[in-house]
Amino acid sequence: MGGIDLEIPHGCFFGLVGPNGAGKTTTLGMVTGLLRPDAGLVMIDGIEVWRDPVAAKRRIGVLPEDLRLFDRLTGAELLTYNGLLRAMPAPVVAARSRELLEVLGLADAAGTLVVDYSHGMRKKIALAAALLHAPRVLFLDEPFEAIDPVSARTIRGLLERYTAGGATVVFSSHVMELVERLCDRVGIMHLGRLIAEGPTDQVRAGRSLEDAFVELVGAGDAGAEELGWLGTWSA
Amino acid sequence: MAGYLVGLRIALLRNGLRRSSWPQQAALALGALAGLPLAFGGFLLLALVPRAEPRAGLLLVEAVFLLLFCGWGLFPLLSFAGDASLDPSRLALLPLRPGELVTGLSLAACVGVAPLCTLVALVGAVVGFGTLGPGVVLVVAAVLVQFALCIVGSRALLTALSRQLRSRRARDLVIVLVSVTAVAFNLALQVGARLAERLERADLEALRPVVRVLGWLPPGLAARALVDAGQGRLAAAVAELAGAALAVVALGWWWWRSLDRVLTSAEPAARRPTRQPAGLFPRPLRRLLPADQRGAVAAKELRYLARHPRLRVAWVVSCLLGLALVVFVTVTDGLRHPWMVLAALAMPFLASQNSLNQFGFEGAAYWTQVAAGADPRGDLTGRNLASLLSGMVSTAVLSLLLAAVTGGWLYVPVALCLGFGVLALSLGVADVVSVRFAYPLPEDASNLWAVQGTGQGCLVGVVQMVAFAVQSVLVAPLAAVVVAGVVAWPPALVLVCPLAIGYGVFLWRVGLGLGASWLGGHQPELLVALSPRRAA
Repeated sequence: MGGIDLEIPHGCFFGLVGPNGAGKTTTLGMVTGLLRPDAGLVMIDGIEVWRDPVAAKRRIGVLPEDLRLFDRLTGAELLTYNGLLRAMPAPVVAARSRELLEVLGLADAAGTLVVDYSHGMRKKIALAAALLHAPRVLFLDEPFEAIDPVSARTIRGLLERYTAGGATVVFSSHVMELVERLCDRVGIMHLGRLIAEGPTDQVRAGRSLEDAFVELVGAGDAGAEELGWLGTWSA
Repeated sequence: MAGYLVGLRIALLRNGLRRSSWPQQAALALGALAGLPLAFGGFLLLALVPRAEPRAGLLLVEAVFLLLFCGWGLFPLLSFAGDASLDPSRLALLPLRPGELVTGLSLAACVGVAPLCTLVALVGAVVGFGTLGPGVVLVVAAVLVQFALCIVGSRALLTALSRQLRSRRARDLVIVLVSVTAVAFNLALQVGARLAERLERADLEALRPVVRVLGWLPPGLAARALVDAGQGRLAAAVAELAGAALAVVALGWWWWRSLDRVLTSAEPAARRPTRQPAGLFPRPLRRLLPADQRGAVAAKELRYLARHPRLRVAWVVSCLLGLALVVFVTVTDGLRHPWMVLAALAMPFLASQNSLNQFGFEGAAYWTQVAAGADPRGDLTGRNLASLLSGMVSTAVLSLLLAAVTGGWLYVPVALCLGFGVLALSLGVADVVSVRFAYPLPEDASNLWAVQGTGQGCLVGVVQMVAFAVQSVLVAPLAAVVVAGVVAWPPALVLVCPLAIGYGVFLWRVGLGLGASWLGGHQPELLVALSPRRAA
């Protein structure tokens, strides 16, 4: 990482975008206490993450990109496990798990082992686990990847309602249209640095976010000359 | 086309090596060297025994050929998920006909350490049975037909089962069945050898019909052709060789048909087995386990014990070992002493061995604990609680079985108290080792003896040996008191009960404290250690 200085206001829907290898996942890992940084300061809700990680983690929910879960548990068991790990009362865990499974369309698969879930279902159960304790800040790494359009709409609605209630959502994505539509603020990362950050309208400056992004990271169109043979058909 | 497929196999082997670091490559070389004694052992067995004991020759060759055939059938099933060259569906998009694939894949299957070792062992049969004259041609042909049987039979079976092997449930089942069969076979051999000592030569002659039946199986036909050719019965040898060759053709046809089906028909839609949500806590333990973090971790561990193939196999194998001990004590006159009940203490030791890498089973899923800010002490306590429950159940069952055999019922409470103490102190050691020397286990769990990254096994072996040594040293004072009680003054064993429990719990608390205190400041580091290395 090349050093990042970033402040995200309360109640904000913040989008972190960047090409592959830009450092989005590493940044989210360091902010959420999963990956120890060499230097620097991370504050969440006034708490220094690396000085008091337990207090900070009580306030956050995480959905990492690398979806390794306790996949020999069923969906319902996984949620119960997460709730009890966070010292939540068992009846509250049971009630919230039921609701989350219902809303995310996983009620029928509640008794299925997570190892038998599709990628999209794994994303949804991990999202449910991240929401279970009603955190003030939610960090989501590529939450809409491999999610079907119906579920994506449900999740969008859920997150919008969640931020409207004063919570903060930070998410990374490659889908520019989604970031443009959902986020109040956006940060663009490239080669481990934050090269642009601010309100979404300000960053895109009258263009689409995708155009602004491509211009900022310096990627060009694929040259037509190099792939000229694509028009010559094989037998 | 065959050349390309052979090249692909070589490239896969070479790239597997290239991704490893030099210590891993050194360890892989050591592993390959370990295969050599097996190959040369087989070579010497087949080369020397027939010349020294001609009557035993046929029996030996039949047994070796059959074992090779079964080994080639079973072991690739285990490595199916990890070896990209075994899954024919990966070639589905290439414009190749099944016939071309059968030829190419057959040749590609001849490349590697296993085929080389098989060939070295089989050449021993040429040395053992080859004689000057036309018979030697048939001897060589019989060996080649046996080799072809292994290769074609193995790949035909794999291709026929490839769709099932890609399903998680079938793969889990194969892993458990093959592993347990291998261990049960090994134990049966040892117990069988013990029983065989009691058999007379006449009893061994009674096995002749079994040998005769095995001789009609394809590997048996190849073996009989080999022996007949070596002894100059050329007409019989030609007929038996033709039978074995016909079996190769039939297996090749089965392979061709299976390939055609796999490459051209649609994969059936996956069905997700659903069960009724029963809650995280296993029903019989609902009242026993606390409804907090410790209870949740213990319940999760117990669920994994029942559902994860690697843990399930470890548990079943430890039960099989216990059962073999009971059989061994039963059939050995000199061992039926009442104090043999104390041999049940092997179970706590076995139960604690998985705990030496108790975080490795979950791998990178450990982020859940880190992200939740889970208390390391509660986390370790929950894991220990699960190990204690499963270990004490198997100790209790084994000590009761041994008591039934030996009549040493009075030793059962002693074995249970000692078992608790030994397990507790072993878990204390495991709590330190498992956080300081954690390593991830392969995700697919298809090879139960593999560790993440070839060659890591060497380091893992050293750590486990040191941990085992520490556990043994800590157990020594208890063992000394038990020996004194058994040899000199049996009532001393009553005193051992509270002593073992107190001593074990004390050392467990020390280990737990050390482990939890280190883990408290190093959860992210443990997570990094448990995450598989990514390619740069």
